[in-house]
Amino acid sequence: MKKISTIILSVILCLSYVLCLFWCFSETPESKEDELVLKVCNWQDYIDEGKDDDGTKIKDSVMEMWEKDYYNRTGKKVRVQYDTFETNETMLNTLRTGRSDYDLVCPSDYVIQKMINATINGDDESIAVEKYDISKMPNYTKNVSPYIADLFEKNDWTEYAVPYMWGTVGFLYNPEAVSEEDISTWDFFWNTDYKNKMTCKDVSRDAYVVGSLYVHREELKEVNLKYKNGEITAEELQKIVNDAANDTCGENIAKVEKALTDMKENIYGFEVDSGKTDIVSGKIAANLAWSGDAVYAMDLAEEEDGKELAFVIPEEGSTVWFDGWVMPKGANCELAQDFVDFLCKPEIAVLNMDYIGYTSAVAGDDIFDLVCENYEEEEGEYEYDLTYFFAGTLSPDKYTEDGRVIVRTNTLGRQLTTQYPSLDEVARCGIMEDFGDRNEAVLEMWTKVKSNNVTVLSYIMMTALILVAGYMLISSIRRKLKKKKMRR
Amino acid sequence: MRKNNIFSRKTLALPYAIFMILFVVIPLFLIVMYAFTNSDGKFTLDNFRSFFSGGHNINTLMFSIFIGMANTAICLLLGYPAAYILAKKNMGFGKATVLLFVMPMWINFVLRTAATRDLLFAIGISGGEHPYFATMIGMVYNYLPFVILPLYTTMTKMDLSLIEASYDLGANKVQTFFKTVIPMTMPGIASAATMVFMPTMSSYVISDVMGERKISLIGNSIQLYFDQGLWNLGSLVALIMLIIMAFGALCTDSDGKEDARGGLW
Repeated sequence: MKKISTIILSVILCLSYVLCLFWCFSETPESKEDELVLKVCNWQDYIDEGKDDDGTKIKDSVMEMWEKDYYNRTGKKVRVQYDTFETNETMLNTLRTGRSDYDLVCPSDYVIQKMINATINGDDESIAVEKYDISKMPNYTKNVSPYIADLFEKNDWTEYAVPYMWGTVGFLYNPEAVSEEDISTWDFFWNTDYKNKMTCKDVSRDAYVVGSLYVHREELKEVNLKYKNGEITAEELQKIVNDAANDTCGENIAKVEKALTDMKENIYGFEVDSGKTDIVSGKIAANLAWSGDAVYAMDLAEEEDGKELAFVIPEEGSTVWFDGWVMPKGANCELAQDFVDFLCKPEIAVLNMDYIGYTSAVAGDDIFDLVCENYEEEEGEYEYDLTYFFAGTLSPDKYTEDGRVIVRTNTLGRQLTTQYPSLDEVARCGIMEDFGDRNEAVLEMWTKVKSNNVTVLSYIMMTALILVAGYMLISSIRRKLKKKKMRR
Repeated sequence: MRKNNIFSRKTLALPYAIFMILFVVIPLFLIVMYAFTNSDGKFTLDNFRSFFSGGHNINTLMFSIFIGMANTAICLLLGYPAAYILAKKNMGFGKATVLLFVMPMWINFVLRTAATRDLLFAIGISGGEHPYFATMIGMVYNYLPFVILPLYTTMTKMDLSLIEASYDLGANKVQTFFKTVIPMTMPGIASAATMVFMPTMSSYVISDVMGERKISLIGNSIQLYFDQGLWNLGSLVALIMLIIMAFGALCTDSDGKEDARGGLW
C-alpha cells in the first residue's frame, strides 16, 4: 500500500515537473516565419488600446491599426509585441540586463538625454540608441508642433528621439481652499497657513527641482520681472530657469536638503499616484502634479461631485517634461520608424490623446479640432493664443485673419490652459536634465530628507525593551540550568 | 527490499534541490557578490564605507529596529490577553472568535492597509498630521493576528494542572501568572516575536501608505537603491538586514527547542 502511494506520488511529482518545464518553454509565442515582429515597451496605459472604461475591448488598438495599415501598404505581415513598464528606472534596468531586444522604448526627457549621452560618449553600450532617418518620416516632419521641434533641435535630440507626449509641472489645487495668490509661487510648500494641506511627489528628481527652484526664488522672481518688462528675451529667461532647476553643485544640494527637510514638516505627505484621488476626495487642497495627471483629476472631480480644480505654473518658473520614442541599439529601425511615424498622424495622435488624457507633441487639424470641441466657448471673452504650438501644421481656414491660432474661452487655469500652457508660461519652464554623475549625490540628499530622526526617547525605550528581553532570556537559561542540576 | 532506482529518495529530491539552488542559493550568492563589488564588477569595500559614513543610513536602520521592537511589544501586550481569553474554554469563546481575529488576514493586505488609511483619516488621525502614530496603528493592526495565533496554539496545549498545582502550593494569581503561565507560553512568545519583529523592519508598504511616505524604514532604502539602479549599495543593505535577521532567528531558536513550538497553523 505504502509502495503504491509512493509510486503514485512520485509519478505526479515527475509529471508536474515535466509540465512545469513544458510550460516554461511554451510561453514564448511562436513566431511565424513570414511575420515581422516589432517589440515595443511603453508606459502603462500610455497608448489607445481600444478598450472602454471597464477594460473590455471595443475597437482596434492603435497597434492593430498600424499592423493593418502596414500590410495594406507593403503586403508584409507585422505584429506588435507590446510590453509596459512602470518607472523609467525599471525600464533602464531591463535594458541594462542586455536580455531585452526592444525595437522601441518610450522613456522620459532625462532618460532620453542619458541614453543619447551614452551613445555619443560610447561609455554604456547597453543603453545606446540608434539614429532616426527623419527623411523617411513624412508625418512626423509635417505634424510635429513647432514648439516641440524647436525644443528638440536646441538640445540636439532630433536625430535620436521622437517626442510623444509632453506637459508641465505645477500645482493642482482646489480654489475653494487655497487662494490663487498663495499658490502661484513655490513658497506655497513652505507656507505654514496651509500646513498638512498639500502633497509633493515622492520622486527624488521632481522634489529636487522644486527645492532648487525654491532656493533660487529671489533671483528667479527678478528675471521674470525683467522678462515681463521686455528687458530679456524668452530664451534668456528659459536658460536661467533651466540652470536654477538643474543646479547640482554641492552648495546647492546642501541648501535644497535644508529646504526639503523643512518642507517635509509642513506638507501632508509624499505620494506617487494617490495625489489625484486624494485631492478629489478632499484629503488635501493642493499637490505637485504633472499637467496630464492634473487634467485627469479635474475631469474626475467634475464628474464625481462638480468640484472645480485648477492648475498653476508657479511664477518663479518650472519645468517642461516629455516622453519620447527611442530605438535601442540593434533595433529594427525601419519598422520602428514606420510605427513612430504612424503615431505622428494627427488622426492617430487624437486617439491616443483622447485615451490617455495627456497632451500630444503632435499638432495638426485633428488635434486642434479636438481642443476646440472640448474647450471652445463661442461667447468666450478670452482669446487664448496657441499660435506657438500649432503654427504651420493647420489648414489655412483654422487661422485668424492675422495668422494667429485662437481658442475662445471663459475659463483660464483649467483643462485647456493645463493641457496647452500659454507662450508666457512655457517661457519660464526649463527642462529637467539628467543629473549624470551628480545623481548619487542628489539621491543621498533625498534619503537624508526622507529618513526619520531617532529621538532620545526612542533610544530609552529601546534600551528598556532590550533589558526586559535580556532579563527574561537570562532567567529562562538560569531555570534550565537549575533543572539540569536537579536532574543530576 | 528491492531498490527502485528511478524512485529512490535521491532522484525524487532532485527537483527540490534544483529549486533551492535556483531560487535560494544563487540569489543569496548574488546579493553577497553585489554587496562586495562596484558597478564595474570589481571587488570593493566602498559600499560599506558609503553605508556607514552617511549617518542617515545608520539612523534609518536604528529607526527600523525601534519601530520593529515597538510593534512587537505592543502586539504582545495586546495579543497575549486576547489569546489567553480565547484559549480559556470555560469562557465560552470558541473557534469562531479565533476566526474573527484571523479573518482580516484573508483580505488582500494592500487593500486592507489602504482602507485603514481612509478610516483613520475619517476619525481624525491622518497620516499627514500624525505619521508615527498612524504607522504604528497600521503595523499593529496588520501583525496582531501573527501574535495571537501562535500564542493561542501554545495556550491551548498548556497543562492546566500545573496552574492548579501553583495555586495549591500557595501562589496567588499574579505569582501564578508570572511563574507558571508565562514560562509555559514562552515558546509561543518567542515564535510570535520573530513573526512580528523581522517583517515589520523590512516592510515598507505599511509605512508608505499609513505614514504618507514621511516614514522611511530600511525596506524603503533597499527599494530606492534598486529602483535607481544602485544595485551594489542596495544589495549591501539587504545583506545587513539578512545578518540582523539571522542573528534574531538564532537568538529565539536557542530556547524552546524541547517544547513543541506554536506554529502559525
